[in-house]
Amino acid sequence: MKPKTLEKHSYTFMLLGLMAVVLLFFTVLKGAMLWKGDVWLGIAMQFPEYGVVTLGLMFCFICGKMDMSFMALGDFATIMAVQYMAAHADSPAGGVILVGILIALGIAVVGGLINGLLVSELDIPPVMATIAMQLVWTGLSVALTSGNTVKGLPALYTEIGHKYLLGFLPVPLLIFLLIFALCWFLLNHTVYGEKLYMVGTNIKAAQFSAINTKRMVVGTYVLCDVICCIGCLLMVNTMASAKADYGTSYVMRCILILVLAGVLPDGGMGKIGNVLIAIVTIQIIATGVNMFPNLNTYYASLIWGGLLLVVLVLNTRMGQGGLFGLKLPRAKKA
Amino acid sequence: MSEYLLQMTGIDKRFGGVHALDNVNFAVRPGKVMCLAGENGCGKSTLVKIISGVYTRDAGEITFEGQPIHHITPAEATRLGIQVIYQDLSIFPNLTVMENLAINSEITAGRKIVNRKRWEQTAREALSKIGYDIDLYAKMGDLSVADKQLVAICRALLFNAKLIIMDEPTTALTKKEVDALFKTVRQLRDSGIAIMFISHKTEEIFEISDDVCIMRNGKNVYSGETKDLTKRDFTFYMTGRELVDDYFVPTNISEKPVLQVEHLTWKGKYEDVSFDLRKGEILGITGLLGSGRTELALSLFGLGKVDGGTIALNGKPVKITSPIQAQKLRIGYVPEDRLTEGLCLRQPIADNIMLSSLKQLTRALGTIRHDELFDKSNEWVSKFSIATDDAHKHASTLSGGNQQKIVLSKWLNNDLDVLILNGPTVGVDIGAKQDIHALVHELANQGLAVIIISDDLAEVVVNCNRVIVMKDGRLVGEMTGDRITEDNILDIIR
Amino acid sequence: MNTAKLKRMTRRTEFYMLIVLILLIALVQVRSGGKLIALPGVFTRLNVTVLRTMVVDGMFAMCSLVVMISGGFDLSFPAIAALSYSLTTTLCLNNGWCQSSPIAGLLLAMAIGWVLGMLNGWIISNFKLNTMIVTLGTQTFFTGISMGLLKLKEITSTLPEGFKAFGKLYIFESADPASGIRFTLSAMVLFLIALCAIVSFILNKTMFGRALYAIGGNEVSAERAGYNVKRTKFLLYSAVGALAGFIGMIRVCMESQSIPKAMVGKEMTIIPAVILGGASIYGGEGTVFGTVVAVGIISLVSNSMLILGIDTYWQQFFNGLVILVGVTVSALQAKRQKH
Repeated sequence: MKPKTLEKHSYTFMLLGLMAVVLLFFTVLKGAMLWKGDVWLGIAMQFPEYGVVTLGLMFCFICGKMDMSFMALGDFATIMAVQYMAAHADSPAGGVILVGILIALGIAVVGGLINGLLVSELDIPPVMATIAMQLVWTGLSVALTSGNTVKGLPALYTEIGHKYLLGFLPVPLLIFLLIFALCWFLLNHTVYGEKLYMVGTNIKAAQFSAINTKRMVVGTYVLCDVICCIGCLLMVNTMASAKADYGTSYVMRCILILVLAGVLPDGGMGKIGNVLIAIVTIQIIATGVNMFPNLNTYYASLIWGGLLLVVLVLNTRMGQGGLFGLKLPRAKKA
Repeated sequence: MSEYLLQMTGIDKRFGGVHALDNVNFAVRPGKVMCLAGENGCGKSTLVKIISGVYTRDAGEITFEGQPIHHITPAEATRLGIQVIYQDLSIFPNLTVMENLAINSEITAGRKIVNRKRWEQTAREALSKIGYDIDLYAKMGDLSVADKQLVAICRALLFNAKLIIMDEPTTALTKKEVDALFKTVRQLRDSGIAIMFISHKTEEIFEISDDVCIMRNGKNVYSGETKDLTKRDFTFYMTGRELVDDYFVPTNISEKPVLQVEHLTWKGKYEDVSFDLRKGEILGITGLLGSGRTELALSLFGLGKVDGGTIALNGKPVKITSPIQAQKLRIGYVPEDRLTEGLCLRQPIADNIMLSSLKQLTRALGTIRHDELFDKSNEWVSKFSIATDDAHKHASTLSGGNQQKIVLSKWLNNDLDVLILNGPTVGVDIGAKQDIHALVHELANQGLAVIIISDDLAEVVVNCNRVIVMKDGRLVGEMTGDRITEDNILDIIR
Repeated sequence: MNTAKLKRMTRRTEFYMLIVLILLIALVQVRSGGKLIALPGVFTRLNVTVLRTMVVDGMFAMCSLVVMISGGFDLSFPAIAALSYSLTTTLCLNNGWCQSSPIAGLLLAMAIGWVLGMLNGWIISNFKLNTMIVTLGTQTFFTGISMGLLKLKEITSTLPEGFKAFGKLYIFESADPASGIRFTLSAMVLFLIALCAIVSFILNKTMFGRALYAIGGNEVSAERAGYNVKRTKFLLYSAVGALAGFIGMIRVCMESQSIPKAMVGKEMTIIPAVILGGASIYGGEGTVFGTVVAVGIISLVSNSMLILGIDTYWQQFFNGLVILVGVTVSALQAKRQKH
């Protein structure tokens, strides 16, 4: 391989190496247990829901913006959808499900528009605007459900979600792959993707280059929140219900995956392929930890957090020597 | 005691493979202004950092007040009486003037507890050194650049400075403010303090300095008294080549104006501005910082407000509300601040060049033609001889002049009627400056209407066939042809 | 007061927040029929509850404030608090410590928090990374330690007596005139007051405090001015860690229970409050006074829902709305000042 290619994809190789280390670690400790078919089927069933959410959030990060509200919004949207579906249980399930999904996506569009307008029209720092919106959406969910779980999903919904296409491809995984392909296409082969990286790098320069930056920001928030909402709809499938705080624990996990993948909220950075590797690595860790009967799921967050810190530190250390092409951000002010 | 305050001989410094300073010799006399001149990247800042103790030299000798100095740290430099005023002034925008003045000496004194009274005393003492008066409780960030600079000078004086180094202090100042600064510099000089003044502006150097040291590519190519040097020699030493002012000769001016601006007003910024512009012309708009010149340009590019008056293009009245619309009306704008408004530094050169013309690369379904992006941008790279071997490299890898060429090609890749250049050669070295000027002349003679906004009067005089002058938001003068001289413009501005 | 001073004051966020707080107090006072402030006794059941809520939130807000002034963003302090108090209470329970006095426990929690804070400080000062991302990592890591590695359990009724008794200390006792229900003003309020005074002193009267403002304003200039930026940041984050451990322990005492999960997501309500109080996420701005006022507003809103005729399930929504309006107004104000 040419040294140039090696340098260009150095971050990808580092992530792949990391994944290999993780696999080796669990193989050494658990032997063949890791390599059973149903373990991998489990992995394939579990990561799509937050994987899709992460892909959505990725657009926001590349655009140089932050979204803390996506999960709260997704929870609210799915609660509305499930409530609708539950209320129309006697109508033909297919139509009800379709309308329910449209309701959820519609709410996500509205939420994305609000985020985008707060950030681009009112110039509120994105972290602040979206933390406030997170509180508002969660507040609405709690108020409208009295904090309870919303059930009564048509059976067909979970049935579809647990089907296997061609006998081996779980439907959630299929949806993830479709969305991944779409995102990959958007980022790498469209004018939108080109503009997104440029706007994320320097929004003012993009504005001075006759790019409609406000439309880019608003559009990106809508895209982000809609994709996140699709992830939440997959979560509804797993849980067979919706609740105001289902997604809360995923917020930090999604940000963590993106940072691990080198998609930093500073904007204009990162590749979607790395995000996929990071998602799968994170899930392998979670599944691996689950194989130890005496370890609980929080053990995984220990490893995730540790991993993130190690990667951050290594990257700065090595980045200065040029081993990893992707440099991490310095402190804000130069 | 020797004749010199600071003497450096045979200074050498390498960074990896780069020979940043190669056997540099120079000296500063007490009570004199010494100019360190050179184009960007010639090693000026490295030299300053060695004097101030930020870097250590690889070889060479330094003596200060006749004493040889082996190892300098920043604290040692302060103790000796060496103060550096960096280009960014090292101020705290969120603190008050008083705190900005006093904080350094408080830290140096190793204090732990804040005593407001003592701080205020220190601050007043600092201001009294140059007889400067300002509200001590004003927030630093609210001050003008000139005021910030004076505060920074006062702060430096608190340390009984014997040598003050000023790194490109005039970059963000208006002519009037530069004059005020020079007055202060002379005042300091007369009180026996040596000033080391770093600049690349010819006029300023001849106006203020007693001695001059010119650097090129890490070597000092001239040192001596300023009065022994002609401007012509100076330019030669700076660039290493003979340069002649190449005046713009319009050959292709259209009869009808392409742009007509009448009674244009943006309240609080500028008022009642009228002018027209023909194809093949280069119109200069000059005036002090804050005269409304930049705001006028922003209005023409859709980023400023229009409260009254009309803009007409090719005889048709238009409303320009966004850069997108300006682009549709075939108006291009090269902004004032290249780094924040002109470039996406962390992205490839090619993508930067094509940024405003992505429409040309769009296929069905909004897909992009990557191959064409690189082919097209490579054309510009070779046409403008942008110094890079690969357009995939980030824009940040280039020098100021080459970066400016990227911003220019970004707009020239569109079909334009009007091109507005705001400070086109700020921070660009003399060689690249000449290239850019020649290019603009060529474009105008091919039928483009160009507006150059600049407070670099020499630039306006050489490049424009017509000049309008703004002052306090109003148009105060217009001149053409031979009447365009620096003196004539200055008469109006002052 | 001269006009320049008055003008400077009206430009500050705290000024507007104070007006909002006063209006809010007046509104609740009227709507509740004088239940918020009673004369001559001053304290009522409602206002002691508000003050009680403010203790922990207000002290956490101080942690967040000092970090934000230095231009950082700390997501990890609730996780540090949770790990410190859960570990402390578990150790105390297993060894039979702190049956009479809570002091050893408080010191232990502070020590644990200090060590955890040092990890933050070490990474942030040495590697100059984005503080939000680093503390996101340490937050996840610390949560993993407390609930995964150590599997710390909830401790409720078995909590050592020393903590329980300490949390029940009060400095004022009275009975509600209408219902006759006894209410007390928790002595923990004193910690809040003391902490505010200390933080205010450090920020305004010590060179360390001015260093935080200086670093938040311009890190390079602070370095050039002679501050040891690295050491300052290390000290800051380790001190915030120790403080978080202490606050967590105070919370355990007040609630008479130690629940490792109780701190999850706490940062998301504290940080907005600090910003509401005038701190800037870009660093260099923020005061103790503004922060306390903002925490006061939020505590008052969440505790007077019923009195204002709002269902308690809507509490979170209105909290969000208050913060949304707050950040919008301060953003608009900043925009106006720029032009």
